[in-house]
Order: sequence, then C-alpha cells, then structure tokens
Amino acid sequence: MSDRIVFDNVSKFYGDVLGVNRVNLSIPPGITSLVGPNGSGKTTLMNLMTGLIRPSRGHVSILGLTPDQPEQLFHLVGYSTQYDSFPKGLTGYQCVSSYLRLYGFDRAQSEQLTWAAIDRVGLRDAAHRKAAGYSKGMRQRIRLAQSLAHNPRVLVLDEPLNGLDPLVRAETIALFRALAKGGCHVILSSHVLHEVDIISDQVILMSAGYVAAEGNIQSVRSEIEDHPMQILIRCDRPGELASRFFAEDHVVEVRLHNDRRGLLVKTKAPDRFYLLMNRIALDGFAVESVAPCDDDVNSVYEYLIGAEEPTR
Amino acid sequence: MNSLFWTQISAIVRIEMKKTFFAKRGLWIYLLALAPVALFFTHSMVEIHEHGARRQMVQKSARQLTERDLFSIGIGMSREDVIARLGEPPVSRTRNRRMRTGRHSSIIVPTEIMSYSDGNNELVLAVQNGAVTGIQKASGISLGQDSYVFAGVFQFFFLRLAIFFGCLGIFMNLFRGEMLDKSLHFYLLTPVRREILMIGKYLAGLLAATVIFSTSTALQFIALLLQFDAAVIAQYMDQNHGLAQMAAYLGVTVLACIGYGSIFLAAGLLFRNPIVPAAAVLIWEAANPVLPALLKKFSIIYYLKSLCPFEITLDPGMPPLFALLASNPEPISRYIAIFGLLAVSILVLLAASKRVRRLEINYSAD
Repeated sequence: MSDRIVFDNVSKFYGDVLGVNRVNLSIPPGITSLVGPNGSGKTTLMNLMTGLIRPSRGHVSILGLTPDQPEQLFHLVGYSTQYDSFPKGLTGYQCVSSYLRLYGFDRAQSEQLTWAAIDRVGLRDAAHRKAAGYSKGMRQRIRLAQSLAHNPRVLVLDEPLNGLDPLVRAETIALFRALAKGGCHVILSSHVLHEVDIISDQVILMSAGYVAAEGNIQSVRSEIEDHPMQILIRCDRPGELASRFFAEDHVVEVRLHNDRRGLLVKTKAPDRFYLLMNRIALDGFAVESVAPCDDDVNSVYEYLIGAEEPTR
Repeated sequence: MNSLFWTQISAIVRIEMKKTFFAKRGLWIYLLALAPVALFFTHSMVEIHEHGARRQMVQKSARQLTERDLFSIGIGMSREDVIARLGEPPVSRTRNRRMRTGRHSSIIVPTEIMSYSDGNNELVLAVQNGAVTGIQKASGISLGQDSYVFAGVFQFFFLRLAIFFGCLGIFMNLFRGEMLDKSLHFYLLTPVRREILMIGKYLAGLLAATVIFSTSTALQFIALLLQFDAAVIAQYMDQNHGLAQMAAYLGVTVLACIGYGSIFLAAGLLFRNPIVPAAAVLIWEAANPVLPALLKKFSIIYYLKSLCPFEITLDPGMPPLFALLASNPEPISRYIAIFGLLAVSILVLLAASKRVRRLEINYSAD
C-alpha cells in the first residue's frame, strides 16, 4: 500500500466555474497545510480527497485507494469539515458513538473509542450535553473527535483551529504533531499563516484553483528567484559590514536595522552570501546571528501570489 | 447481505428515527394523518347524540312505532289522523312562523313541530291550521352505509392526499433535507456503501410513514365504529368481513407508503424543489385511468385501487374529476397488484441507487 496521497492531473469544474485545475501532488505523511484565500480551491481539494465530489479530470489516490471506495477508504481517512453534521438532538458523546456504529463497531468498542477521542480533544465534561448547544470551539472539537475516533491514517481538517481559544489551540496543535509523529497524514487548511508556519512539515499554496507552490516552506522560498532573499545579520559593527556587502554584485540592498545593531541584506545568491559570511567571520567581525527573515509562509505567499493575501 | 451491512442499516435507522418521527417541520404530517380520524370521530359523536335523542323519543311514545307507521304519513293529512296513527307526539313544540300575504303584509301562523321515532328513523312534521304542511324524514346511518363513506374518504382523501403528501414530506427530506442542512456528509464520510445508506434511510422513512398512517387507518376505523352497539360491531367483524376489510385497509396503507416512499426518495435525489415532482406525480396518478395500458403499470394508485376492499361505484351525478379518480377500468387480482407495486417500488429504488452512487455534495463556501 502506498503511503502517499496523490493527485494526478486533477481538475474540477462546477459547470463553468473552476474549482481546481491541473493539480499534481504527492503528499507524504506529516502535517501538510493548504494555504490560500477564499475560493482558491482548498476545500475543493479536501472534498476531492474524500469523495464528496469527483474530479472532472484526473485521478485521486489516498494511500493507494480511490475515493470511490468509501467502504475501505473511510477506515483510513477521517474528515472534519467546516460544517456541523450532527444528527439533531444528539449529545456530543452520541454524535461520536453513533458515527462509530456506522463503522460496524459494537457498542462496547464504540464506547471505548468515543471516550478516547473525546478525551483527546478535552471535551469529557461536556460530552453529555446536546451538541446543538455547544459553542463554536466545542463544536470544532467534537467534529475533530468524530474524525479521529476510528484512528485514521489520514486526517483531513478544514480550518480546524477556527474558534478555538489559545490554550485549546496549543493543545490541538500538539495533538496534530503527535499524530504526524506517529506516521499519520494531517492535511489541514488555514487562513492564518503564522499558525501554518508553526505546525506544517510542508505547505501547498493555492491560488485561484491552481497549486502555486508546494513542499517544505524553506525549499519553496529558495526556488523563488525573482525575489532576493532577505537576511538579518546581528553584529558588533554593522556600518563597516555594510560597506563589505556593497562590494558584492549579488547583494541588491543593505539596510541598517532600526535598533542599529544589525543589517538587513537582500541577496540574489544566498549560497554565495553564506560563503561570504564565513570569510567575514574569519576577518574578525563578531557576528551574533545570521537568519533569513522572509522564508516564512507569509513572505512566500506574498511573493508568489501577491495581493491575494490570506489573513496574517 | 453480510452482518456489517445490517449493523450499518440498523445504525442509520436509529439515527434517522428521531428526524422522521420528531421533526418540528413534520408536524403537518401528523395533522394530515389525523384529519380523517377527527372527521370520523366527530361523525360518531353526532350520531351517538342523535341516537340517544331518538331512544328518548321511543321511551316517551304512547305506542311502539315501526318504520312503516312513520312513513305512512303524508302532506295534507289532518292532525287528528296523525294522532290516530302515531299517537300523541313524544316531542312537540309550537313556533310562530311569519308568512307573507302580500308585498308589504304578512301574518303570523302558529306551527306545531311534532317529532316521532321508531328508534332508528326520525319523522318531523310541521302542522299548521290542523293539517300537515311539511315532512322531514331522517334515517339512522347503518354500518354498511358508513363503510361506504369510509371507502370514499380512504380513496379520495387518505390515499391520494394524506399518504401521498405525507410520504412526500418524509421521504423527500431524507436526502434533500440534509443537503439543505449541510449535514449529509455525516454519512458520506463513513465506510457505508451509498446503496446501504439509501436502504437505511428508506427503511427509516418507511417505518415512520407506516406507523403514522397505519395508526391513523386503525383509529379511523375505531372512530367510525364508536357509534354502533357492541352487538352490531361483533356481527360486522365476524359475519360481514369487517376484520378482513380493516386488514385490507391497513395493507393498502402500508403498500402506499412503500410505493410513494420509493418515488419521493428518488425525487429527493433528483429535484431541489419538492413542488415539481409532487405536481408531476399527483397528475400522473390522477390520470392513471386514461393512460395507455403499459404506462398504467408505472403508477402506484393503479395497484392500490385494485386492493381496496370497496370499489366506489360511478354515480352519473358524480363530478368528472371524482369519476376519473374513482374509475378502475382494469381491476387486477390482489396478488398481481401486490407483486406489481413491489416491483415498481424496487425498480424506482434501483434507479435511485444509481443516482446516490454518483451523488456529489458541495456546499462549501470555498
């Protein structure tokens, strides 16, 4: 069985409206974030993965299975959508346990798995309250419990951190990390770029139905050649160091940092720049730190997609 | 079908039961189902009241009267003749009636209203100036007559409107309602075959429709019988096939739910707006008697009509629409009717299963 989620030249059109176009992806285990503004195709990709919609062209494969095989697929996949899907009148506990009964688990197994899932999202105290009366954050958590209760290998989560308070958000991120560490695919979408930066092993940047870039965020950044990389250098003699940089043809901009204890350098050739830094260190400059400051998702997104920025 | 499928079906039925039985927006279905019960109950209460009044008249009568005695009275007969034949009236009252004598003049004429009864029939006479000027005869309704009325209400209202629209409300909601609520993915994201999901939902709808409408049929029957003596009911049940008729009505109710349920479940997968399929199926069902022989068979009412225990006789004075609805030019045998209806329902469900297999839901804001 493959351990990849594969999109092979997948397009989806809703009549004349483009959902996603010519998507080719091979997603390894770990935390993968889909990033993009509204209408960029994030949820369409997730719905395609789970068979809620079918591709107009191309093929989707989840660990070797197609979404047309729900009987096998959903033993491996859990999907938490943006929308509540609780049957009316059920408590949080019943939402999860009735869901598990559909998997064919008997009452005892369902009970055990339900409590395990509810504990993982920290909702035990409210488990016997009607789900309809839950707050937004609690509904988000019970949806998460529902999607991971059967211990899937692929967890697809649409905006999973929306509505969570900071403490629960941190706990939830820790949960995603633990799942990813255990070999699980955690595919999540988010508008909040700094969050994505913190938790993702890889990102898929979406724009207007196309995949603008994918992979580890630093490797994506290094492939963007038309935007020089910006590097912050903390050192004891920034003015002197600036004059050294101006002599290099790959350095396009040097600015003194606001606190006057560092330099912001833009270079078209990061490899040559780091070699230069080695020489500078040998020349007696006391360099405290050298760190790229625009290889986060936010900057990458801005360079690639420009004006269509998601929420920062 | 293996045990996993049964487990899944029973889980779906359990989840759906709450929605089908206790949905607030389904309240009108209960009202529709209970409307004929209320009708027959009210009718029985009125009859019980009138029967009590006639019985009191018999007790007060000077002599025991027969139907023949009552119907021997004619207009113009003198009051004395009436008294001689029927005795002093058990109930009598005098009213003054204003009678016109010219364009601007009138006189007041005292009118005596005399009532007689033999216990079942009632005779009301208006006597003015010592002579009978008006006669009103009312007969107590027999169980046979009421059975006929029951058949009419069952065929014209209960089958064609109550069960029809009730099934529309229950079965169209099974998929379409969840798409509107954005909650259908609860099922579509589980390892349940789409066909199994459809069967589970259909059975849940069928359970609700059958319980609601069969209970109504039974209650209608009970409400109808309330007005009769225990001996009359016992005779009707034992000797006049009352029990068989009741069983037939219950059977027709269940089969109607099976048939219309399958059609509206399929319609819920195909149409957003329930009015379009409802109107189309309603017209198709009404026009069944005039359809070509082959097309007739793709109709639910075609089979149900032949299963109803009473055939509505076509009266020349009947309005054309009622005549069309009542006519059954090609009655078929009971077994063919049951088999045919089940076959049509299965065909419709098979077509729906193709659709549900390809069903996509996309209610995202993405």
